[in-house]
Amino acid sequence: MATIVDETISDFDCYGSLSIASTTITTTTTATTSSSSWNDWSPVFDWDVFSGGDNFQDLIESMVQGSGNCFYKSEHQDCAEFMEEEEESGDSNNNQSEDIDGLKLVHLLMAAAEALTGVNKSRELARVILVRLKELASPNGATNMERLAAYFTEALQALMEGSASGTLHTKHMFSPNYKDEHRQGDVLAAFQLLQDMSPFVKFGHFTANQAIFESVTHDRRVHIVDYDIMEGIQWASLMQALVSRKDGPPTPHLRITALSRSGSGRRSFGTVQETGRRLTAFAASIGQPFSFHHCRLDSDEIFKPTNVKLVRGEALIINCMLHLPHFSYRASDSVASFLSGSKTLNPRLVTLVEEELRPIGDEEGFVGRFMDTLHHYSALYDSLEAGFPLQSRARALVERVFLGPRITGSLARMYRARGEEERCSWGEWLSGVGFCESNISFANHCQAKLLLGLFNDGYRMEEIGTNKLVLGWKSRRLLSASIWTTMDIDL
Amino acid sequence: MAIEEPEPNSNSDPISEWLASTLSDVPSFFHEPYSYTDDLNFYAEPWWVPDQEDQIVNHNIIIDNTCNSFNISSPVNTAINNIPLEPIILDHPQPVDLSKKRKKSDQNPKASKKNHKLQVNEAEHAPTIVDQGGVQLKKSIGPKRVTTGNNSNNKEGRWAEHLLNPCAAAITVGNMNRVQHLLYVLHELASFTGDANHRLAAHGLRALTHHLSSPGSSSASSGTIGVTNFSSANHKFFRDSLINFIDVSPWFRIPNNIANSSVLQIIGEQDRLKNLHILDIGVSHGFQWPTLLEELTRRSGGPPPLVRLTVITPTTENGELTGTPFVIGPPGYDFSSQLLAYAKAININLQINRLDNFPLQNLNSQIINSSSDETLVICAQFRLHNLNHTIPDDRTDLLKILKSLDPKGLVLSENNTECGCNSCGDFATTFSRRVEYLWRFLDSTSVAYKGRESEERRMMEGEAAKALTNMGEMNERKEKWCERMRSAGFVKAVFGEDAIDGARALLRKYDSNWEIRLEEKDGCVDLWWKGQPISFCSLWKI
Repeated sequence: MATIVDETISDFDCYGSLSIASTTITTTTTATTSSSSWNDWSPVFDWDVFSGGDNFQDLIESMVQGSGNCFYKSEHQDCAEFMEEEEESGDSNNNQSEDIDGLKLVHLLMAAAEALTGVNKSRELARVILVRLKELASPNGATNMERLAAYFTEALQALMEGSASGTLHTKHMFSPNYKDEHRQGDVLAAFQLLQDMSPFVKFGHFTANQAIFESVTHDRRVHIVDYDIMEGIQWASLMQALVSRKDGPPTPHLRITALSRSGSGRRSFGTVQETGRRLTAFAASIGQPFSFHHCRLDSDEIFKPTNVKLVRGEALIINCMLHLPHFSYRASDSVASFLSGSKTLNPRLVTLVEEELRPIGDEEGFVGRFMDTLHHYSALYDSLEAGFPLQSRARALVERVFLGPRITGSLARMYRARGEEERCSWGEWLSGVGFCESNISFANHCQAKLLLGLFNDGYRMEEIGTNKLVLGWKSRRLLSASIWTTMDIDL
Repeated sequence: MAIEEPEPNSNSDPISEWLASTLSDVPSFFHEPYSYTDDLNFYAEPWWVPDQEDQIVNHNIIIDNTCNSFNISSPVNTAINNIPLEPIILDHPQPVDLSKKRKKSDQNPKASKKNHKLQVNEAEHAPTIVDQGGVQLKKSIGPKRVTTGNNSNNKEGRWAEHLLNPCAAAITVGNMNRVQHLLYVLHELASFTGDANHRLAAHGLRALTHHLSSPGSSSASSGTIGVTNFSSANHKFFRDSLINFIDVSPWFRIPNNIANSSVLQIIGEQDRLKNLHILDIGVSHGFQWPTLLEELTRRSGGPPPLVRLTVITPTTENGELTGTPFVIGPPGYDFSSQLLAYAKAININLQINRLDNFPLQNLNSQIINSSSDETLVICAQFRLHNLNHTIPDDRTDLLKILKSLDPKGLVLSENNTECGCNSCGDFATTFSRRVEYLWRFLDSTSVAYKGRESEERRMMEGEAAKALTNMGEMNERKEKWCERMRSAGFVKAVFGEDAIDGARALLRKYDSNWEIRLEEKDGCVDLWWKGQPISFCSLWKI
């Protein structure tokens, strides 16, 4: 069966060409432990005790087990893991001192998060650590960790200031941060760069589209309800696939209902309309029968299924893209209302893309989540760097426009929830409300592999269960695409 | 009004010898509150300057006209010539409620200065003569300082302890990942310069890494970069620094002052012609005694015929003591000759007997050569807390030995802090106590030195920081000490009004976060910093 990627890697004028550069870097996987090299600061102390001398490891292990205090057991490992991965990423310039600087930043960030929320809360300590972090980190820094730490520092600073005044408002340490504040040109440029630098966006779109394509093989009318249409780029590739499909009935009619939100943001009504115009024009240019609608969400972004106009005989698809690097955060109430509301519409297929986060136990609280987030973005940064090692300015733009604000936003939410928010994935949630897994086809699997093959070999793809593909960087899972269906269809 | 003062013989060379090295300092601690009259003229007429021969001091204090300023702010080691001479006019000197003035002075440094002078002048009117009952201040209405916001023991601001104590706790439970995490963070924030928290972090980090690399051993190797202490100082620097420290901080000055007052009080109760014998088991390295000697010259009837000073220098053999702050001076340091010269200069017949490296437990009347026709006073200051207090209970044993010497009085001054030794808690507990002790010291020195960096500040702090690496016996609460004293057969004696009023008057020279608290129930005089106890002084008899 044809796959989406085959057919869409051809030029696509409307959105610029997909120039996929396959930059592979020789990876050096020297497993040097960093602790041994920086013992020069303290002549008194022998750092070798930490780098696993003869029987020390056993000793520590026995002590840790005996302590009964497993809460902090892994924090240094946590911190060290970053650096090992960073080392693996094998920039040959990566010397040890960089690792140590990075490790330092990770420890400081963790300590700041602890000081803000931990058992021994101390705002004064948090303040002092942040002062030090600001000296060490910069959004224009040379290393990933320096830049990443700058955003995390800024986010923590905002939390501290917010918690001081009782509200959470973000005061920006660096240049304007939220993408709505960026010039539109910057946003588009950054989006284009993101597309070129990494497989994230395409992985999500292609996997979803392939599943949609396969599920509507014999349909004459296809209706997609899209939760967050953004620039609509996902649908251009689907249209191309549909118009060129060889077997089955002629090109089906495609109807897209995009949800729109009140407010003046980038995805407000006007933007959605603009996206609709562009998609309509594109569809016309390739001969795809197409109609575009939008459906307004409530002021609190709650979805009402009755607002969607359904036509008998249409194959209904629910498309829910969340957490792509360039996406805005959507309140979980809103997402939940969309997914549960759509169940009443009996869709043939639900396509879901979301970020993968490590399940965090309650006892790890904010600090645990904070560290996981740091880990997540660290992997993301590394993957971007591996994709475009020389274009540091381009990466800085992507980081500034998309990732920085996401970091600030997600930490603020975590902080507000004080680590108590539920943290199951939307996939689990779908399964919980009665959706069934729908099988990812072999073709879809192959397509994802093919896509990743075009990027750095640090990207990994794994299949979890029968309905989910996960994109990761090295050992860290970052993004998953899963497909679901309702009982009725299966029966 | 003119007050007659004894005229020191400024002609003599020995005195210049004693003072030669301290000319740039302000040895105002030589002049305890009794001698405020002296202090007032101290800067204007430096009788002690060696080249001003034949100078005869004429102490004219003109209350309702002008007088020379007593430099209460006493900047660190600045040239005394720079001190401005501010006129103060007191047309109608009236008794003013001291506590009110205190408050006012907190708001206005200028006012503080003037008020201080006012107080000083009042202090002159206050009874400097023993037994003049009528003018005595009552304890209850003494200048009780109000604990204000910045005064309170605000733990929140003490961020270094939020890293050091958890790190010690992690070491205790053997959680090495946590330990390493905290060491990383400490390393980033620690500094031997800067505010007290950064300094505490630096000393704490050093102590923790020392503990990790050689657990159980007591003293960290000195000479680590950035850390100096007494042991590495040269004699002149050591002397200058200590003189200056005593001048800028009441940490030792108040206990020394009270001890000296107590000595005067005790010999005042004895036959005037009896010899005085002081057993010095202290940490003053001699700097306490010039003041006392001078007081003795002003005593009605003159000084005792003979003043004997028996100095027990700490033993350095067992290593325990070397880890205790302030106890051991630089190698080879001996203040005897200078003190003797000074005594000679002021016509005091002084005899110094130094017992070097002498274990306290071996003390007896023969060793110190005491006799029944002299007045023996024991000054035990910040030394006995080194002694083992569990099994064997060397502390109580030593107190019994001291009692057997049959002193007419014993002054005990100690840190009023929980013990930080191994048998008094696990590493985390005792480390946090020692950190607490050091915090108070560093916090007070940053005020004492007005935030300025200097070698001598670093040395004093480095010396205090030995408390962190000292795994041996250290400190005990006041209540426990009193219990020990009683069980050894001592009876609590009451400090004279002069001792207390003098200490209070002296304390006004310092930051308002310092206070003296009197415990009616135990009769001790406690020194507090920011609402926390630092040390206590107690007077005992048999």
